[in-house]
Amino acid sequence: MTAPATVETGARPLLSVENVDVVLGRGWRANHVLSDVSLKIWPGEIVGLVGETGSGKTTLARTVVGLVRPRDGRVVYDGTETSRLRGRALRSERRQGHVQLVFQDPLRSLDPDLTVEQIVGEGLRIRGGLDGEEIKARVTDALGKVGLDATLLSRTPGQISGGQRQRVSIARALATDPGLLLCDEPVSALDASNRNYILRLLGDLRDSLNLPIVIISHDLSSLAGIADRVVVLYRGTIIEDGPVNQVFSAPRHPYTALLMASAPSVKHDRPLSIHQLRRTAADPDLRPDLLAASACVFAPRCPFAIDACAVQPALEPVPAAAGGRWSAACHRHEEWPALARERAAVAAPR
Amino acid sequence: MNGNPPPDQVLGLEDLHVTVHHGAATAVSGVTLSVHTGEIVGMVGESGSGKTLTCRAALGELPAGCAVSQGTISFETNNVTDLSRRGWERLHGTGIGAVFQDPSSYLNPSLSVGSQLTEVLRVKQRLPRREAHRKAIELFTVVGLRQPERVFHQVPAELSGGMLQRVMIAIAISCGPRLLIADEATTALDVTIQAEIIELLRDLRDQRGLAVLFVSHDLAVIRELCDRVVVFYAGEVVESGPVEEIIERPRHPYTQALLQVASVGDFSRRELRVIPGQPPQVGAHISGCRFAERCPAAIDACRAAAIDLVRLGPRHQSRCVRANDPELADVLETELAAR
Repeated sequence: MTAPATVETGARPLLSVENVDVVLGRGWRANHVLSDVSLKIWPGEIVGLVGETGSGKTTLARTVVGLVRPRDGRVVYDGTETSRLRGRALRSERRQGHVQLVFQDPLRSLDPDLTVEQIVGEGLRIRGGLDGEEIKARVTDALGKVGLDATLLSRTPGQISGGQRQRVSIARALATDPGLLLCDEPVSALDASNRNYILRLLGDLRDSLNLPIVIISHDLSSLAGIADRVVVLYRGTIIEDGPVNQVFSAPRHPYTALLMASAPSVKHDRPLSIHQLRRTAADPDLRPDLLAASACVFAPRCPFAIDACAVQPALEPVPAAAGGRWSAACHRHEEWPALARERAAVAAPR
Repeated sequence: MNGNPPPDQVLGLEDLHVTVHHGAATAVSGVTLSVHTGEIVGMVGESGSGKTLTCRAALGELPAGCAVSQGTISFETNNVTDLSRRGWERLHGTGIGAVFQDPSSYLNPSLSVGSQLTEVLRVKQRLPRREAHRKAIELFTVVGLRQPERVFHQVPAELSGGMLQRVMIAIAISCGPRLLIADEATTALDVTIQAEIIELLRDLRDQRGLAVLFVSHDLAVIRELCDRVVVFYAGEVVESGPVEEIIERPRHPYTQALLQVASVGDFSRRELRVIPGQPPQVGAHISGCRFAERCPAAIDACRAAAIDLVRLGPRHQSRCVRANDPELADVLETELAAR
């Protein structure tokens, strides 16, 4: 499970999201959810997509499966530009179940009146072309892949435990033999032991099926044990993207560092404390140009913002990183770590 | 702990038993714990271990079909085990405040959050309208809401999860309770917001001497906030003691297992461990240790008879027959590493 994914940089990415802009709502309600998001997923890798509530993680996943149409940019899956498909072609593509989404709360996303067998087999029935016996065999096979046995087939979601329910949603997604699995907060409703179980299961699925998986989470530390790459989203913009071990050992964006410092831990030995990464009353007032729409998305919360931050920096490769697969969007990615270490590590008394 | 409780004790549970399904099964058996002024006590355990039922018993708000069958609950110097509905209502808000996991489900979606706070102040403290408004703004400031005047007029849908949880905390502390019960109050929040709420609870303890009973399934969160921790397993307390001591030297195999699966926070790639097996069903008849079936260090003595809490230090207790066995830690280490 801990073996890093073998990624051939010359190969074609399985999924390519290119300069995607998503606006939800119209007129004065219009909400710019994703701006200029580009992301590539390579065969066989596990990518962790992190960010807080409202950062656009879920919208990005929904855009990839075609539930949300981007205003600009394109989504290319395995050579097909899925974001341009319309009508019959779109329906037929969706029925194939190439890209599968696993939702956050299995209790709410699974139909309470259907049995496990019906839930897992539904996608196969909709796709058609298989008879009842074959569907049943595929359902049992999918349940086997997630470590559930056939005795659960006739139960409903209300009759099984939380960890088992999440495994049923994963089995449902696996039934159509997808080429890409997107998991939206698969573990946030589970306790620590079940959380690790599900993450391990996803790692095993990647190893045995060579299935690329995107795991959306707001919890960085659970991704550390499993993901190969981490992508950090802040207010609809990707601010850092790179290999897990490099990003987590020396983050280049102050927001990534803040996320790491905020993660609860049983040990108390963090390189930087949250107080060193948050604006405090001692910091000068925020200049109005840093609050403008064109400013760096993180500038209003960033203690290191300067004049240059009035313009959103592009996601650029980190010079020191080998292979050019690590990039960050921060004007001060060289300077801020030293500045952070000079700040007080504890809160000023109130 | 017979006779009168110590003067700074805010909440005391003594040999508490809670039955569910109209007495058919016992979900909480023999829980003894206390919370003192200015102390944050954490309750940790898997889903279904009886943490929430214990909290609800301490709030006098047990769900239908559940009842306290044995033991006592005391608040400050009073025995409140058999308190009437009216009595509990008087205690809620003024004596005990509570916050839960999903703040939006406890607020009226169509009223401004300010009016929901002033309602509490006007009913509980009989404050006049203007005075309640002033106090509400003050409370919103205390819980760290920026622009409190603006937040006052907003409805829950306009506020983020972290802001709503702050509103819930403002309501919970509005009438000056001595005890705050927080049941998974940070579980649904983003990590950055969770860190802020943890700081807020610590500030409230420091500034107001508030006692907090904090429930979480994540030992890492407990570690960040609490002074003392009580570990629950299958309706029993299996270990309790100061957080530092328990994190450094857990003396019950279940606590050890919880530590193994908790977030370590070093962000290095490591094996993700799980606790094998399932906890016993509520009401299952187990003669000895309830964790024995899942325990890597179980011996015959574990299944022979009920296990008592063993005192290991001035404030440290563990419900394990091998708690004083010097080999226990080694056995657990090798067994757990092999999995």
